[in-house]
Amino acid sequence: MPTTLTIPKLQMSTTEGTLTEWLVEDGAPVTAGQAIYALETDKSVQEIEAPESGRLIQKAAAGETYPVGTEIGEIVA
Amino acid sequence: MKTDVMAKDIGMDHATLREIYRQMSRIREVDKGIQAGLSSGKFMFTYWPMTGQEAIPASIAPLVTKDDYMVTIYRGIHDQVAKGVPLKGLFAEALGRVGGVNKGKGGSPHISDPASGSMVTTAIVGAGAPIANGLALASKMRGTRAVTIVNFGDGATSIGAIHEAMNLAGAWKLPVIFLCQNNQIGEYTPIPDYTAGENFHCRADALGFKGVKLDGNDPVAFHNGMKSIIEDVRSGKGPVFVEAVTLRLGPHAGVGWSHLLKGDALAAAKEAWPVPATRKLLLEKGICTEEELAAIDTAASAEVQEAIEWALASEVTGEDEMLLDVYGDPGVVPRRGQRDKRAAEAPHTGETRQMAMFEAVQDALDLALQLDDGVFCLGEDIGDDPGGVFKCFKGMQSKWGERIRPTPIAEQAIIGAATGAALLGMRPVAEIMFADFVGVCMDQITNHAAKQRYMSGATTHVPMTVRMIAGGGIGGFGAQHSQSTEAMLLHNPGLKIVYPSTPTEAKGLLLSCIFDEDPCIQFESMMLTYSMKEEVPVGDYRIPLGVAKVKREGTDVTLITYGWQVMQCLKAAEELAKEGISAEVLDLRTLLPLDYDRILTSVEKTGRALVVHAATEFCGLGSEIASTINEALFHKLKAPASRFGAAYAPIAYSRIIETAQIPHAGTIAARVRELFK
Repeated sequence: MPTTLTIPKLQMSTTEGTLTEWLVEDGAPVTAGQAIYALETDKSVQEIEAPESGRLIQKAAAGETYPVGTEIGEIVA
Repeated sequence: MKTDVMAKDIGMDHATLREIYRQMSRIREVDKGIQAGLSSGKFMFTYWPMTGQEAIPASIAPLVTKDDYMVTIYRGIHDQVAKGVPLKGLFAEALGRVGGVNKGKGGSPHISDPASGSMVTTAIVGAGAPIANGLALASKMRGTRAVTIVNFGDGATSIGAIHEAMNLAGAWKLPVIFLCQNNQIGEYTPIPDYTAGENFHCRADALGFKGVKLDGNDPVAFHNGMKSIIEDVRSGKGPVFVEAVTLRLGPHAGVGWSHLLKGDALAAAKEAWPVPATRKLLLEKGICTEEELAAIDTAASAEVQEAIEWALASEVTGEDEMLLDVYGDPGVVPRRGQRDKRAAEAPHTGETRQMAMFEAVQDALDLALQLDDGVFCLGEDIGDDPGGVFKCFKGMQSKWGERIRPTPIAEQAIIGAATGAALLGMRPVAEIMFADFVGVCMDQITNHAAKQRYMSGATTHVPMTVRMIAGGGIGGFGAQHSQSTEAMLLHNPGLKIVYPSTPTEAKGLLLSCIFDEDPCIQFESMMLTYSMKEEVPVGDYRIPLGVAKVKREGTDVTLITYGWQVMQCLKAAEELAKEGISAEVLDLRTLLPLDYDRILTSVEKTGRALVVHAATEFCGLGSEIASTINEALFHKLKAPASRFGAAYAPIAYSRIIETAQIPHAGTIAARVRELFK
């Protein structure tokens, strides 16, 4: 079953986040704990780690701002 | 023996260190599981990571059992895991699911799991310490040898609750350990920005008990240090303050790493991180093989994955739970359309004795102490002499010994101790002297005692009673000893509140409060404490909560009131009778649960209503009751229901102003006449 990646609610005040950069190419393998994208929320940038190992499928463009909960990609086996 | 030689090698027997690592690995996997869920958007809740602090609870776990108590804070998931809170219930709770240890009603910052000894998790910094004292007090009074450990961060040492709790624990030699997990930062503000103090353990010295500083990142040193401390506390040597030095690697809230740790600092912190460091030690010393450690980690990861899947399969806690667990009986919750008929007390036919209200209160306390070993009293100056500032305890300490407990002047410590003891099934009765002082302990009353049943999904409840004296009406007490503060408390769900107007009712309501399963507040009017005397039933006499009483029958208007204003309304009714206005006086006696049925029944008969109280009129209970009457009986009313309370000003020192600013017979009668215009 693929693992869905959505814009996380990292802080109580977070309502949206900017996917500043994908750190792994679309379709490339990732391991759990590896930084996969950079997220800017509330003026601080954080690298988000892969929750599972698998292959990253990007579903949203970098440089855009999305509301919390928006699906931006998935990790497939 | 081979084991002993190897044990000297690391200063601890190998099986224990292996077990400590197993707990650290479980904590680490829980932390990773939560952060992965939050990062991927699969979870949505606020998380305060404890990354870096795993060694502290993991090293304590082998030294305590489920019969020892723990209190912690929102950054306390590591404490919960090591204490033995089941992971399925823990994840389901954090996710707000019905399968949570608290039915999803507390959430990650409010875990209570009495089965494992995790009693209270507070999201109010420092507020757990006064409650931990109560748990320890109950253990001490019952002679159980249980140890209570209260966890808090270094940031909490700045708040008054910690100081009050430490002072009381020292004075009473309570079996409690104040465990300060000094992670070097209070939320976002690091040491020394928030304190000029160089360490925290020395604060215990100032209060007359032992303070110790230990390396919380070294499981061997920390476990060994805690072992002798726990033994001492268990054997009755009094409290200990432990400063466990560690480093928070994560942010205040959210996922990832601390904003203060960058580059080399982060790399060094990760190097010193006790989870990988302990793993490395076990490997280097030949205590575990890589395969054995991998098996521990794999088992922990599998336990966490299974718990997460289980939790996600559990239903999100639904609306049907909204009004449940506010009180033991959902019928107590005030709400539109509620009109429960509650039976009144039977008329008393037995023996009576003349008593003033303070004597009737003492009679109730004395009887409760006889009826139940779990009853005890605490408050300022209640020992002999003087036997309480209001004389309610005269001779009681001589008779009941340790069950009458004079306290330091520290209201947070008093209410916390009562709350904690009540959590273990005792029935404490606290005195807060003047009702104005409730502000000092508002957090303990409203955020903790009142909310604990709800937040814990009814796995715990707080059968305590607090008495407070409203000083107004006599004149000369001034703005800080005269206020009637019931509206502040009524606005916070979870409390039951009574406000008697006679000695008999003070006794009957107080006994019902003491034996009620929810936290109760009894207001006593200074106006009535000594001046009013009457024949009071002797023996176990109780008045059920939530039952108002007609004190004078009438047909034209209902005066709804309580406390010392009952007397004023009766006088006003007498005056109005001369003018041909027949006023009914309804004494609420209990403000919550509110007796909607007797209120509406009376006003249905009279068609007019005025609610009268000594508390400030603006946003007072009178407005609430008048609104309810206007909504429920709109078509039957001859005039809009109204309210009459004190003017919007602090209670004045001047007797002339005080008399003018609070309703009295003359002004009440004048307001009633307006209803007939």
